[in-house]
Amino acid sequence: MEKNHVLELIPEYLDGVLPVEIQKQVEEHLLKCPKCQKEMEEMKLLFNALDTEVVAVPSDRLKAKFEEALEAEKENMGQVVSLTSRKRSNWASNLLKVAASIALLVAAFQMGSLFQQQKVDENISVLKDETLQMKQTAMLSLMENQSASKRIQGVNYIDEFEHPDEAIIKALANRLLNDENDNVRLTAFEALSKFTSSETVKNVFIDALGQEKNPSIQIGIIEELVKIQEKKAIDPMKKLLDEEETQPFVKEQIKTGLPKII
Amino acid sequence: METLSDEILMQKVAEGNLDLLKVLFDRHHKHVYHFLYKMSGDSMLSEDLTQDVFYKLIKYRSSYKNGSFVSWLFTIARNNLKSHFTRNQRHHEDLGVLEYTSVENESEGAEDHSQLQHALNQLDVEDRELIILNRFEDIRYEELAEILGSTPGAVKTKVCRVLKKLKKIYLENI
Amino acid sequence: MRKFTILTLALAFVATLKAQNDYSKSLNGIEWVKIESKANINLRTYDANELLIKGNRRVETSEKAKGLRLVGEGGNDNTDVGFYVVQDGNTLIVKNLRKSEGAEIYLPKTQNVSVKSTWSGDIEIDGFTGEIEADAQLNGSIEIMDVNGPVTANTLNGDITVEFGTVKQDSPISIYSTNGAVDVTLPGNTPADLSLSSTNGDIYTNFELKREEKNGLKSVSGRKVNAAINNGGVNISLKSTNGNIYLRKQ
Repeated sequence: MEKNHVLELIPEYLDGVLPVEIQKQVEEHLLKCPKCQKEMEEMKLLFNALDTEVVAVPSDRLKAKFEEALEAEKENMGQVVSLTSRKRSNWASNLLKVAASIALLVAAFQMGSLFQQQKVDENISVLKDETLQMKQTAMLSLMENQSASKRIQGVNYIDEFEHPDEAIIKALANRLLNDENDNVRLTAFEALSKFTSSETVKNVFIDALGQEKNPSIQIGIIEELVKIQEKKAIDPMKKLLDEEETQPFVKEQIKTGLPKII
Repeated sequence: METLSDEILMQKVAEGNLDLLKVLFDRHHKHVYHFLYKMSGDSMLSEDLTQDVFYKLIKYRSSYKNGSFVSWLFTIARNNLKSHFTRNQRHHEDLGVLEYTSVENESEGAEDHSQLQHALNQLDVEDRELIILNRFEDIRYEELAEILGSTPGAVKTKVCRVLKKLKKIYLENI
Repeated sequence: MRKFTILTLALAFVATLKAQNDYSKSLNGIEWVKIESKANINLRTYDANELLIKGNRRVETSEKAKGLRLVGEGGNDNTDVGFYVVQDGNTLIVKNLRKSEGAEIYLPKTQNVSVKSTWSGDIEIDGFTGEIEADAQLNGSIEIMDVNGPVTANTLNGDITVEFGTVKQDSPISIYSTNGAVDVTLPGNTPADLSLSSTNGDIYTNFELKREEKNGLKSVSGRKVNAAINNGGVNISLKSTNGNIYLRKQ
């Protein structure tokens, strides 16, 4: 350490964050080395200036405005972005509010202010898009969570979407086909079963039937596919019927279901 | 509630407990403001930008992903500052000129500006930012590395180098 | 001084827990502990921030196997108690390599745990405040006592019994069985949105869901019941395809 200068360590030395051993070595070196000593004295001056620099503080306006924005968001969340099911009814009532405000706008339009109406209308649709977008982001990110319960929560957000777009359907399909947790798969199945008119969903169900091992999910998928009389489901159903490990009651379900499709 | 870590609080905010953002605001808004003020030299602008940082926190709360909260917060603050300058750049020839003048303008008007601020103003924007974040806002090397997309070791070396540079400028002018 | 005594006692307790030929590992940086076993798994809580696997006394290595290591399906015994333990990111994976020997495992009560029984082992979990995932893939049953949620549990043939303390409101609870009964006890004042469903079994509860009575519990006929209790709250979904659902008020 004697020959090597400790210039690089001086800031940390002054901060007192070096390990005790090294702190000691730096001290010893400083006693012997004028160059490093000078560096340290100079750095001390700078640190002193840094420490005593007057700190600018924001005005109270900042806090007031922040709290205002927060309250607005809470209000907004209670009505629109109700991410927990407890507030689901509020979400519906908000839709009503949007509908009501559109009705009002239509009235305004009839009174002749065409330009203004279009403008406000645009704003409303932007607002709606934005909250939906946020919900979608929240939903998709929750579905990737390490916790099964959180993934289920993500899947349950489907109730917030009247017309989920392809990205959401794909994410749900991915849960049904690939999630390691049975509860998540079953919840994803239940979410998807509301959209069996979608071609994507039908195909996902058929894929899932070919690989799913959980009998409760098998039963559910068979029920749905029979309900919509999906012909492509016949092959995977027959295959399940032939497999030894398929549970007897699942086989029963297939036997009663198959004739209904044809 | 006061003693919970920033990360746990933000996690709860992301889950919908918006009131906890007040705790996070109280803990951090002065640092965010101070950082922006030191970088821009403009107190009104810094308040507006700080306001916007916390507004973004409210808005994008669900995109928070377990990382260091302070890193996330200052990443947003830096982006805000950057996009403010890029927006203004359209009306000026050169970003560098603008950054230089915006700080200098202020210091001409306000004579109580310290020697240290003069020295800071002579650093590159990047170096200045590093020193402000590390020395004034007490952001640790690990978190700085996250913000700057670097490693703690590299950040430490760089801080050390810039401190030396700053010390030289400061002592020359004192 | 009193604190010191308690600490000494706690240390002594930990020490006695560890006395036999046990295995322990620090849980620093670990968010989830994932346990997989064919045999019974018994999860208990204690005060150290460590995983502790109690060696089963009966499992004396046989003469023939002395000096050899157990080679299991999922990996090799790297613990000397018949387990394979490995860290994967923030997850600690714990596999019981013995096919018929159950184990008692101790963890801090706030730990998030995921337990999987892949053959006929029963899963018993007691006293955890962290998140719990339990999956008995074949014949095992699941019993979770004194838990706060979130809980995710699934069985094929075994019954599931869960007794909640206060129910955390931030993340859903999902308890499903294919052929077993689902038996859940909640404090009477729990706010929740309930979804109860059984395809071929019956649903019983003494929460106010307004249906006819049987053995003091009200039988709620119909395959699916959705109801809010205490003005609604966290989602609780109980489902069995062929078994009964019992929802009890504590």
